[in-house]
Amino acid sequence: MRALDRTTWTLSWRLLRGGGRVGALGTGLAVAAAALCTALLLLCVAINAGFQDRAARTDWRGPVASAHPVAMQAVSTAFTNARPVTVVDLARLGAAKVPAPPGMPRFPEPGEVWTSPALGALIDHLPRGRGPALAPGGGERAGTLGRAALTRPGELVAVVGHGPRDPAMTAPREADPRRPGDIVPPTPIADFDGRAEKWSAGGQYTALAKVATVLVIVPLLVLGASAARLSVSRRDQRLAALRLIGATPSRIAGVTTAEAAVTGAVGALFGAAGYAALLPLAAAVPVAGGHWYTADLWVGTPTLLGVLAAVVLMVVGSALAGLRQVVIGPLGVARRAKPPRMKAVRAVVFVGALALYWQLTKDKETSIGSIVYFIAAVFLTLSVVGPWVVGLLGRIVARRARRPATLLAGRRLIDDPKSAWRAVSGLTLAGFVAGFFALMTVGADASWGPANRLALAVPEDRVTVVRAEAEQRLAHAGVRATVGTDDAWIATKGDRSRQVTADVSGGAAELDRARTALTGLVPGQHPVTGADVDWSGTVFAKDFRRAILAVLGATFVVAISSAGITAASAVLDRRRTYGLLHLAGTPLRVLDRARRIETVLPVAVLGGGAVLTGIFCAAPLTLAGGSASLDARGAALLACCLGLGFAGLVGASALSRPLLRSVTRAGGPRPG
Amino acid sequence: MSAPVLAGHGLAKSFGATRALDGVDVFVGAGESLAVMGPSGSGKSTLLHCLAGIERPDAGQVLLDGERVDQLPEPDRSELRRTRFGFVFQFGQLLPELPADENVALPLMLGGVPRAQAVRQAREWFAPLGLASLANRRPGQLSGGQAQRVAIARALVGGARVVFADEPTGALDQATGQEVIRLLVDVTRRQGAALVVVTHDPQVARWCDRTIEVCDGRIRTAQTAATDAAAATDAAAATDVADVANAAVVANAADAIGAAGPAVPGGPVAPGGSGS
Repeated sequence: MRALDRTTWTLSWRLLRGGGRVGALGTGLAVAAAALCTALLLLCVAINAGFQDRAARTDWRGPVASAHPVAMQAVSTAFTNARPVTVVDLARLGAAKVPAPPGMPRFPEPGEVWTSPALGALIDHLPRGRGPALAPGGGERAGTLGRAALTRPGELVAVVGHGPRDPAMTAPREADPRRPGDIVPPTPIADFDGRAEKWSAGGQYTALAKVATVLVIVPLLVLGASAARLSVSRRDQRLAALRLIGATPSRIAGVTTAEAAVTGAVGALFGAAGYAALLPLAAAVPVAGGHWYTADLWVGTPTLLGVLAAVVLMVVGSALAGLRQVVIGPLGVARRAKPPRMKAVRAVVFVGALALYWQLTKDKETSIGSIVYFIAAVFLTLSVVGPWVVGLLGRIVARRARRPATLLAGRRLIDDPKSAWRAVSGLTLAGFVAGFFALMTVGADASWGPANRLALAVPEDRVTVVRAEAEQRLAHAGVRATVGTDDAWIATKGDRSRQVTADVSGGAAELDRARTALTGLVPGQHPVTGADVDWSGTVFAKDFRRAILAVLGATFVVAISSAGITAASAVLDRRRTYGLLHLAGTPLRVLDRARRIETVLPVAVLGGGAVLTGIFCAAPLTLAGGSASLDARGAALLACCLGLGFAGLVGASALSRPLLRSVTRAGGPRPG
Repeated sequence: MSAPVLAGHGLAKSFGATRALDGVDVFVGAGESLAVMGPSGSGKSTLLHCLAGIERPDAGQVLLDGERVDQLPEPDRSELRRTRFGFVFQFGQLLPELPADENVALPLMLGGVPRAQAVRQAREWFAPLGLASLANRRPGQLSGGQAQRVAIARALVGGARVVFADEPTGALDQATGQEVIRLLVDVTRRQGAALVVVTHDPQVARWCDRTIEVCDGRIRTAQTAATDAAAATDAAAATDVADVANAAVVANAADAIGAAGPAVPGGPVAPGGSGS
């Protein structure tokens, strides 16, 4: 391509280097925005990939029944110190050659216990009698599980070897629909390929990661576009000078492409370095019960290069789009025709998208994946209706303006509603996110039973025997507890079963001792409390709140950065006019006020609308979950977000005031 | 001549080691136009900046209607520029978002005049300047000459005592430039305002009552309009025969506007009549 020949690159490089203080500031902001964009994009991709990697490593714990089995596999979940311990029971069938389970060098022999590093350390650390009873008689610690068997570094997992006729491998176990994957009955298997648990917490996390990614990526795209336009706006005079000496439009486009590509690439590289530097920190964030393997959050070289290329392409595309909007005359005057009025069809599209979303979410069969795409669609239509609302606001403000600053602000909103929208779009989209999550609180009410009541499911005909033995075992272990029988639903029960309970007094340590004492009383069952039943829900609720804060933090940081960059860009765009107005005696406070009004007013209107849209989008999801009320925590979160966002926007806008003073001081009456 | 509206005495200004102005004396009376010429870097723009309160001179005094203004703090000088001075620059001084009438009304609104009244007053300037049908157009929809005429209206709408014009025709072709400078001189004279024009173009300077030439920060020559015009005509004849044709175009444009010049809304009757 001739427009990108060596001359173009040389010229672009010289223009980049010779831009002076203002040029360097513009380039620096563009690079910083591209870097932030890249780093956050990579982290979004990393988290999605990380959940997939984690989920892939738990597949083997979901056995698939085989017609030609070589082994039996069952799964149960014990608890110690209020943490779940996944116990995988394995038994070889006959003399067939059995493959080694993931993370193990060989198939476990009967009586052997293999533990994850964290579980091994826990057992070593806990006093005798408090550790989880994993195998009859305690078993023999034979080795440590490798990474391939674990989702995360701190996970507590044990693989216990049995004989095929051991009670653990023959007694029936009822899977519990309240905790998918926690209990799996003995299953004949031929390998350890397994299958993903459809309703497991992993699926919820993957869906949450997708929603979070959608909500973060759109403001990121806005930020990238703002950065690219910033680099265009500051070079219009120089490009005009090139036109004057005979540069062709394709050469101008080439210079723009080259300059945007260089700033985009440098920013993307900084972003990639930032991502790499943040990896250990990101891996230390506990999600789904624990930290990450750093390698799980590494996106891989091809994806990394793909994201870098996408960022550079986005920056170049936005820069070229920005260039096309300004027809530069040979004397450097950006000629602007009367702005086309935004069409009301934009509002129709937005309302239509909301109606469609409502209709689709009413259908209970709609998958979470589809809902994510529809949320993205509604999110994007905010960007369609935004400029139209800005134009409408501009017309109202300009018609009613009495003061010069208000008139200026109104006229600017009418003149370029898309540009005004870009300045506030980040915060508007962040408002959507805040509204979305304000309503969408996940409850984790452990209402299955008291926290100190252990339960075991027992067939009706064995209740008396089991109860008596439970009293005996607890007394022998020195645990004070009241043993009873009821028909509540803490432990998993089949038909014609009741549950034997033990109300333990004395705190967490005594509870663990009671667990240990009662384990094995009913083959294949570990005693559980109501809180144990809901453990994954509790962890998910905590993670959900953390994810909300992370997404809100990311969107608001991106939005405020975007607003700051756009404000600086607008000052640079109009530096000559501002300079001349100042020379002619226009007080800078009038210009400041006009800039403030043209930002704050659309944010107030559009941000409010976006919050309501977010609540609207969250409502069907929370209704489905049975809790669609704006509780005090959600309202407080929303108020905090809006307050901080608004303050951030005003602050970001105020940061460009020194720039305004700088360009008005530097601006002489001659074209610069 | 009446007492000068604006006077500079012994003005000196340095930028580092560079002496931009070196003891310049200059004055301009009500209804009078003064052209400041000189080569690039001679100090003519610095002189304009010092007279207009944009820069503070290192030494000397600037008097407006006999009152010293060079020592005023920046906010007061800024207000002075807005209320007592008017400015016409080469280009780019109009806000691209505002239609022409609101661009002209802006100084009035900044001075506290209600919007409707300010726009009404602004529109009174459009017909005399040949802009009657252009009041609703944006700067981007105006030609260079039309935009400069809007700028002239904006400079004068607030009743400026002095209008400063820095290369007001620099971005225009010869014929349009001549038309614009003629209008500028004429309208300021009719308003009774003083006009200071910085230019490097003798064809522009010939429209002014007096011309001074600045060289190395000092006034080299002070010329009357008659000698200036003759010199300019000689120079033009020697360098570019086409300018003769341009002069004819200018004369025709002047005829089209009317020998008595455009009527100035609310402005006092000019003492000097036509400047040509």
